[in-house]
Amino acid sequence: MKGMLVVLRNDLGDTLHSKSLLIVVSIIGALIVAAAVGVPIALKGWLADGISWDEAKPLLELCIGLAANYVPLIVLFSCMATWATDPIAKEKAKGPIESLLATPLTARGVWIGKSLAIFLPAYIIGLMATLIVILTMNLAAILPTTGHFVLPLAAAFTSFLFLPLFMLALVMVGIIFSLITNPVIGQTIIIFVGVVLMQVVGQVGGRILWLLTSWDYALYNLAGAALLGIIAFYLSRSLTKEKIILSSKGRWA
Amino acid sequence: MDAIRLEAISKQLGEREVLSDVSFTVKQGDIFGYLGPNGAGKTTTIRILLGLLQPTSGKATILGDDVSRDEARRKVGFVLESDGLYDNKTAEENLWYYTRIYGMAEPAERIDRVLELVELRDRARDKVGTYSKGMRQRLALARAMTHNPELLVLDEPTAGVDPSGQMEVREVILNMAHKEGRTIFLSSHNLDEVQRICNRIALIDRGEIKLYGELEQLQRERSGNEVEIETTEAIAEPLLAELKSLSRLGLRERKGNILTFAPQEGVRIPDIVSLLVGRGVEIEGVSKKEASLEEIYSAILKEVEPS
Repeated sequence: MKGMLVVLRNDLGDTLHSKSLLIVVSIIGALIVAAAVGVPIALKGWLADGISWDEAKPLLELCIGLAANYVPLIVLFSCMATWATDPIAKEKAKGPIESLLATPLTARGVWIGKSLAIFLPAYIIGLMATLIVILTMNLAAILPTTGHFVLPLAAAFTSFLFLPLFMLALVMVGIIFSLITNPVIGQTIIIFVGVVLMQVVGQVGGRILWLLTSWDYALYNLAGAALLGIIAFYLSRSLTKEKIILSSKGRWA
Repeated sequence: MDAIRLEAISKQLGEREVLSDVSFTVKQGDIFGYLGPNGAGKTTTIRILLGLLQPTSGKATILGDDVSRDEARRKVGFVLESDGLYDNKTAEENLWYYTRIYGMAEPAERIDRVLELVELRDRARDKVGTYSKGMRQRLALARAMTHNPELLVLDEPTAGVDPSGQMEVREVILNMAHKEGRTIFLSSHNLDEVQRICNRIALIDRGEIKLYGELEQLQRERSGNEVEIETTEAIAEPLLAELKSLSRLGLRERKGNILTFAPQEGVRIPDIVSLLVGRGVEIEGVSKKEASLEEIYSAILKEVEPS
C-alpha cells in the first residue's frame, strides 16, 4: 500500500507538470465555458415562453441528465486516453520501470499507483466541469424562471460516482495490458471500450433519452464498473514483475 | 554469510534455456566480476538476483535472504543496463523518489551524501536529460547507494561511457568498495576494468559457468611456466639464434629488451639467467609471466566453441 502511494505521488506530480494537462484543461475549459454560457441562454428563452413546471420538468431533467452523463464521460475518456499509456510506454522503453521493479515495490503497487495517478486528475477535472455546467444551467436559467433546482438523484449518482467507477475500472484494465503487453494494446482497449461505451450510451440515449436520469441507467453503469473491476482483479492475479520485464523486451507472456 | 549465493539456478524462456545449473558465491567484501559475451546470460542472472525474473529451478539468496523476499531487495542497490533515470526530473528529484520507495529517514541528508560521493552535488538541481552519459552513470550509482545497501549489483556500469567518464565511474565503484565497505557484483564486457578492480570472477557462456574463482589464482593457474627476462639492451642476433637453437630453454619471443621463455622440465630460471650473464648480457629484471584476463577469457571461449 505504501509503495502504491509513492508511485501515485510521483506519477501525479508528473501528470500535473505535463504539457498535456495544460492542453486538456484548456480545451475542456473552452468547451465548458461555451456550454455554461450557451445552454442557459437557450434554456432561458425556452422557459420564458410561459411553459408550466409540469411540462418543463421532464425536459429539464433530460437536459441535466445529458450534461451529467456526457460531460464527465467525455472529460474522463479524453484525459485517460491521453495519459493512460504514453508514460508507461516511455518507462518501459527507457528502463525506469525495470529499476522500479527491482526495489521492494510490488507489481500490484505499481499498477494501482499508476492507474490512480491517471484516474484522479481526470476525475477531478470531470467533476469540476460537470459541476460548472449543472450549476450554471440551474443558477442562470432554471432556478430564476421556475424556482426549482433540477438534479435527479440517479443522474447525480451516475455522474459523480458510478460512471467514474466504470472509468476507473476501465483504466485499471488498460494499465494491466500496458504493463504486461505492448502499451498500445492497453490504449486500444481504453479507447475501444470508451468508444463502444459512448456509442452504446449515445444510441440508447437517442431512443430512450429518459433512461439517462433513471436508476436503471445508474445501475447499468455500476454493473459495468463491477464487471470491469472483476476483470481487472482477475487479470491482476497474473500480474508479475517477470511478465512486465519480459514484455518490455518484446516477449509477451 | 555469503553476499550472494546461487545454487543450481536454471532459467527457461520459451524453448530456450538461458541459464543452466548456474552456481557461485560472492563473499562479503568482494569486488566480483561477472564476465561473458553478449547473450551469455549475465543480465538474466542479475534479473534473477533482483527478483525481476523467477528461476525455473535452483535457489538464489542475497545475504541469507531468498531473492524473492523484500528483505533481500532492501539490502541491494543496483545499476541496470539502462540507467532507469527520469530525464524530466532533476538529480535530486530522481533520488527523492527512491528514498521514498525505500522509506528512508532523513532523506535530504542521505541524498546530499551520495551526491557528494559521486561528485554531482553542484549539478543536483539540473534535469537529468542535460547530463552526459558518464554523469548519468554516476547518478545511477548514487541512486543505488541511497538506501545504504550492503551489496551493489552493477550491470555494465561503464558501457557507452567515454574513457575519462569510465575512469570516474571506476573511481566511484572503488570508493564504494573500499571507503564505504560495500560488496560489489560487477557485470562487464570490459576485461581491463575487471582485471583492475575485481578480486574474484565468474565467466559465463551460453548460460553455463565456465570459470570461477579468485582472479589472482586463476591467473597463476593459467599462466603455465612462462618467464620474462628483461635485459638492459636488446640482445644481438647471433645470441638470439643460439638461444633459439637451445630448444630446452623454450624461447617464445623477443619484444625489445624482453625475452619470454617457457623452459622445459628440469631447466631452472637461474640456469637461463646464468647462461645470459655468461654471454655478457646485463639483466634488468626477471618475472614470472601471468596470463592476462583477456588471454584467459579468449582461451576459455575457444575451449567451449562448438567444433
